[in-house]
Amino acid sequence: MKKIAITGSPNVGKSVLFNGLTHTYNAVVSNYPGTTVEVTSGKVRIGSYEFEIVDTPGMYSLYPITEEEKVARSILLDRSVCLILHVIDAKNLERMLGLTMQLQEAGLNVILVLNIMDEARKLGISIDIDALEKELGIPVAATVSTTGEGLDSLRGKIEDYVRKIS
Amino acid sequence: MLEKFPKKIGYEDPLEIRLSELEALLLSDYRISKRALSILLLQEDREMMEMVKGREKENSPRIFEIIAAAQQHYHQPLSYIISQCRQREASRIAAKVMSFEPQRTATFKERLSKIMMNPVIGAPILLAVLYYGLYKFVGGFGAGILVDFLENKVFDGYVNPFMIRLVDSVIPFKLLRELLTGQYGIVTMGIRYAVGIILPIVATFFFAFAVVEDTGYLPRLAMLIDRLFKKIGLSGRAVIPLVLGFGCSTMATMVTRTLPSKRERIIATLLLALAVPCSAQMGVILALLGDKPMGLVVWLGIIMAVFLFVGFLAAKIMPGELPSFYMEIPPLRFPQLSNVLRKTASRLKWYFLEIFPLFILASIFIWIGQITRLFYFSVRILEYPARWIGLPKESAVAFLFGFFRRDYGAAGLYDLKKVGLLTGNQLVVACITLTLFLPCIAQLLMNIKERGMRMGAAISVFVLFFSFSIGYVVNIILTLANVHL
Repeated sequence: MKKIAITGSPNVGKSVLFNGLTHTYNAVVSNYPGTTVEVTSGKVRIGSYEFEIVDTPGMYSLYPITEEEKVARSILLDRSVCLILHVIDAKNLERMLGLTMQLQEAGLNVILVLNIMDEARKLGISIDIDALEKELGIPVAATVSTTGEGLDSLRGKIEDYVRKIS
Repeated sequence: MLEKFPKKIGYEDPLEIRLSELEALLLSDYRISKRALSILLLQEDREMMEMVKGREKENSPRIFEIIAAAQQHYHQPLSYIISQCRQREASRIAAKVMSFEPQRTATFKERLSKIMMNPVIGAPILLAVLYYGLYKFVGGFGAGILVDFLENKVFDGYVNPFMIRLVDSVIPFKLLRELLTGQYGIVTMGIRYAVGIILPIVATFFFAFAVVEDTGYLPRLAMLIDRLFKKIGLSGRAVIPLVLGFGCSTMATMVTRTLPSKRERIIATLLLALAVPCSAQMGVILALLGDKPMGLVVWLGIIMAVFLFVGFLAAKIMPGELPSFYMEIPPLRFPQLSNVLRKTASRLKWYFLEIFPLFILASIFIWIGQITRLFYFSVRILEYPARWIGLPKESAVAFLFGFFRRDYGAAGLYDLKKVGLLTGNQLVVACITLTLFLPCIAQLLMNIKERGMRMGAAISVFVLFFSFSIGYVVNIILTLANVHL
């Protein structure tokens, strides 16, 4: 089965997104960095594909410092992973884009997920998704994983991407 | 939109030259692009260097020469230079796609956030969180009202008499009846402890903890006490595993993985094993000492002193650099009730599945022990250390239970107090010793799993001796000072 790995800095809502995509509560969610220390995985059907989705501990960079960052990296570099959802906090786009570029640099298939869009909007931040897609050359989705906003559009982008790469 | 080849970020020229040299020397097939691998090599990534050493037999000396040569060119570490190049590119993109509306003044949440991290105003906030969350809600409501209801009304009033009558009329063998409904029986003790005492306490704690967690208070607490923690060889980052330890130390020992250095992980594991009582234990202790505020103060003071002293000592003994602290502070958020409830339920399930079989097993072991007289033998042995710390010999049973789980042992003390066997001093000494005492079997196994056989066993043996020594000392001091709590 094809694997999708969810990655990103600590506390950007990877586990909420995981629970939302798999319709479960297997990944524990809190408001502090480092809630997830073990890998959680679940099955999900998106369009005509069946995937195994893997939630990973947070990592700041592909160059690991802590033990759980090492765990996270080894999952991303597993050959069975066909697609990586890089989740970032939309408010902190500038600081978190570095990892997106590293993942691309490594030759991995990446979709960028701009999460916590609601808080970004409240701060008066708006992001031009189309322009960002053009700059990076990968699909970009905007979500609010706690309410489920944008998840359908994300599923659509996952399906399109997987069709193109397989 | 989709490109077959990943976009390249350009690095500075001296780096680009080294990168192309490295890429040409990497001949094996790797999971990541050779460019990305070369960049990791330049940053001296241990794992990648080992891998390349193994796979590029011929080229590896040359590869390591290039890495060394690249570093020569810069004063700062290459990992810093590289992330700077990347950050410039990220900033360029962000400036292009992001737009901001003019900022309004600081919101209430932002002001509250600042206050929480302020050493002067932050401390009373912490005390308020502890008082209402822990003392009032877990201690008063969970360990008081709920335990009283389940213990005294449900179990003593209905379940136990009913089960005893049922077992008496159905099972003709006294021995088998003992196993189910005897003094240490599966129903009368195992299930009663688990459901009547431990469950309500742990449930209220996990609920309170989930609320605190989801607001984003913990990282702020980490900032608040970072300076104190530095003294015991830890950084503020260790706050999260340690606070989680008040829920379940076994779970928390696993979370020590988030700590960056081995030294910090060992110190945190030791402190979790020794001086951080889990919620079940703490709840029972609140119930035991609830009517003796002074006793509670002595207990708290001693445990905190042990925590700081042992941490300080461990930091002195173990060599290592001072921990650096960097943590992202998430915004304060209003907890979602659905998430709080689901998280409480999922943790409770984890905890309960872990203890329930053990509690039943404990009843079975004691039953076998009673048949083979081994039980009485072990109790007699434990009577000695119990007497050294000034406790009546009946408390030896509670310590035997403590070997299974500390909370189980604490629940044993609860029974002793109910029949009036313990004086105030004895209660305090017993609570202190049992709090410091060997962690439950699950945590012992977790210590060994996370820290390795030698370190895990060493921590456990140390804790065993240390707990009784402190009990001994406290008892003597209380006696000499002629204090009656």
